[in-house]
Amino acid sequence: MKRFERTRARGPLVMIVVMGFLAISILHLLLTIATSQSVYELSDLKQEKRELDTTSQILAEEVASLSSQQNLLITATKLGMVANSNPVFLRLDDHKVLGKPKPALGSSSQSHNLVANSAMIKIAPPKKKASPASASEPLKLPVASASEVPIASGIPASPTR
Amino acid sequence: MNHAGPVSARRIRLLVTISVILVAVFAIRLIDFQIVRAESINEVSYEKRAVARTVPAVRGDILDANGNVLATTVYRYDINAAPAIVKPVERQIDGISQVVSVESVASELARLLDIKVAKLLPKLIGTSHYVNLKKRVDAETHRQIVELGIPWIFADAHHDRLYPNGAVAGNLTGFVGSDGAALAGIERQFNACLAGVDGKETFEKGVDGIKIPSSTVVIQEARAGRNVVLTIDSDLQYQAQQVLASEVKKLDADWAAAVVIEVKTGKIVLAAEAPTVDPNNPGKSKPEDRGARVFQFAYEPGSTFKAVTAATAIDTGYATVNTQVRAPSSLKVFDHVINDSYSHPPTNWTLTGVLRFSSNVGTIKFAEKVPAKVRYEYMQGFGFGKPTEVGFEGETEGVLNNYKDWDGVTNFTTMFGQALSVSPVQMASAYQTLANEGVRLNPVLVAGCEDEEGNRTAVPKSTATQVVSAATANDVMHVLEKVVEQGSIGRSTAVSGYRSAGKTGTAEIKEGSGYGQYYAASFFGMAPVDNPRYAMGVMIYKPKRVWTNSMASAAGYQKILSQVLLANRVPPSTGKSPDLPTEWK
Repeated sequence: MKRFERTRARGPLVMIVVMGFLAISILHLLLTIATSQSVYELSDLKQEKRELDTTSQILAEEVASLSSQQNLLITATKLGMVANSNPVFLRLDDHKVLGKPKPALGSSSQSHNLVANSAMIKIAPPKKKASPASASEPLKLPVASASEVPIASGIPASPTR
Repeated sequence: MNHAGPVSARRIRLLVTISVILVAVFAIRLIDFQIVRAESINEVSYEKRAVARTVPAVRGDILDANGNVLATTVYRYDINAAPAIVKPVERQIDGISQVVSVESVASELARLLDIKVAKLLPKLIGTSHYVNLKKRVDAETHRQIVELGIPWIFADAHHDRLYPNGAVAGNLTGFVGSDGAALAGIERQFNACLAGVDGKETFEKGVDGIKIPSSTVVIQEARAGRNVVLTIDSDLQYQAQQVLASEVKKLDADWAAAVVIEVKTGKIVLAAEAPTVDPNNPGKSKPEDRGARVFQFAYEPGSTFKAVTAATAIDTGYATVNTQVRAPSSLKVFDHVINDSYSHPPTNWTLTGVLRFSSNVGTIKFAEKVPAKVRYEYMQGFGFGKPTEVGFEGETEGVLNNYKDWDGVTNFTTMFGQALSVSPVQMASAYQTLANEGVRLNPVLVAGCEDEEGNRTAVPKSTATQVVSAATANDVMHVLEKVVEQGSIGRSTAVSGYRSAGKTGTAEIKEGSGYGQYYAASFFGMAPVDNPRYAMGVMIYKPKRVWTNSMASAAGYQKILSQVLLANRVPPSTGKSPDLPTEWK
């Protein structure tokens, strides 16, 4: 009888322990799920960043190609622009013209690109005008990051070598 | 029943005892594995599944004076296939699953990789797990290949060097090899600045050899390289290269070079040449076109050196701009006859006239009293006979023999730039000295090595040396102004609105023990004379299509100078040149 009473007395304690154990297990499970979810999110974000880095590099290479001196000359020539190696200045103080104005006739050194550039990409001319601010700033290509190897951006690295 | 109790109890005790022993054994083993030998077991286990790899550091950029990128690092991809698993590709098109044949897929790949299908298809047959289809594919093409969704295509990403402006300053930047090793130019000379420190990391792989996600442990972070900042203006460099390439073609010359130095700072604004190397594809250039002749090539300068001789004679008091000489067109010294470049009757020239008409005999007449030792020391003062402070890799020191080794004829020929050799940058530096009131500044090509925060190291020290007095330098500059004002060739170098000064040079080229039939034509000078900003020179090597060799460099000089003045918004000159007689009666 005494044993029975003792067992009855321990009942709530056992229940608390079991419930506590269950609660901790469920909490652990939830935390694990949440962590796993975060890992997936982190993985997705890393993937997205790699994609954006790749896009950034592609665009930067296009911009670099478009802003290369060779491309500027070719484009300017297509627009009918001719360099004049005969500078003339107007002095505002006395309205005097300094130098002898001569028409710009252009020459082979100024109308045809003679400096090789195998990095130039054939790109369709942009439809929108570039903003003056971006046009005046020197080009700075984004530096590839050593810690972000973009091999997982779709197709994996070769399995064997 | 009475017997059952003790037996059962014994059995229970025995069971408990055995269980305790078993548990104890397991516990001991567990403690042994988990605590005592845990570290060594872990180590062995980790070694079996861990893979260490080097994380290559990103190489720094090479920038021009305005921050424009001349060389940078990008990702490129080697596209590979695993023929062993090549099979038709399943694709979802408009929600319907379709099987695309290997031939069709190969056709798509071939178009993107710019190779023929006939060449690609055989590579996809076999039992190999690796075959390279194309190396160094750009990111755009790589992405398009990814979008094809081919399960048996793989890509290896690696760093590659990109020179966005191609051959613009290619002679200076140099290039790297396919393995990323710096092979030439600034790339090699400043490799310590550009190359970062490789990192190291490990990751764990499963039994299938596949990397276990999130197992990467960084042992050492990769440290990116720093940037090298040059003093050159890449736009002007390009324009100069354009001009030189055009002149080489027009004159059927071997090559041409130009160098411009900022008079007040010693900074090299451009150091161009044609033909030159496109660092994106150095293999396309001839080996002799892959260097920097401005620094690495030495030649007999000829008459451009007379400015140095004149400065020496004036500075030492042996002559003035008006020193009178009577010069025939040839002069016998010892057993050697020295000629002027054209025949003329004995003429009464001043020192100004001698340089204006570029008379070799006249130069001897006004400089012969200057002791050889003194002339030699002045030559050294102007920077001849040693590499410039730029220290470009492979830079020549030229040839300037000790005056004690000069024989009787050499003593005279060195007065007009023979029997010694100089590099184009050495000669431009001498003209910078004359334009800067006699103060020579060390030429500077690299402004420094710059980190991400903009902190610069390896900034070259500026050294200023008074080689000749300011009065002497100005006198010589005014003499050289007469060459541009009055000389037929000099006039063609003039830029309208600016006072400029300079000197022609038509140097014979050594071939064996004598001289060959071709020349190195050059023009060196400074502008504007009233407030000198730039010293520069243009050299055309072995022009074959000219009516006079001296003329060869003039057109190129004028075009480059006008662009330099225009691009830097240099105010036009005011005032007139001093009146200096060229002849006397």
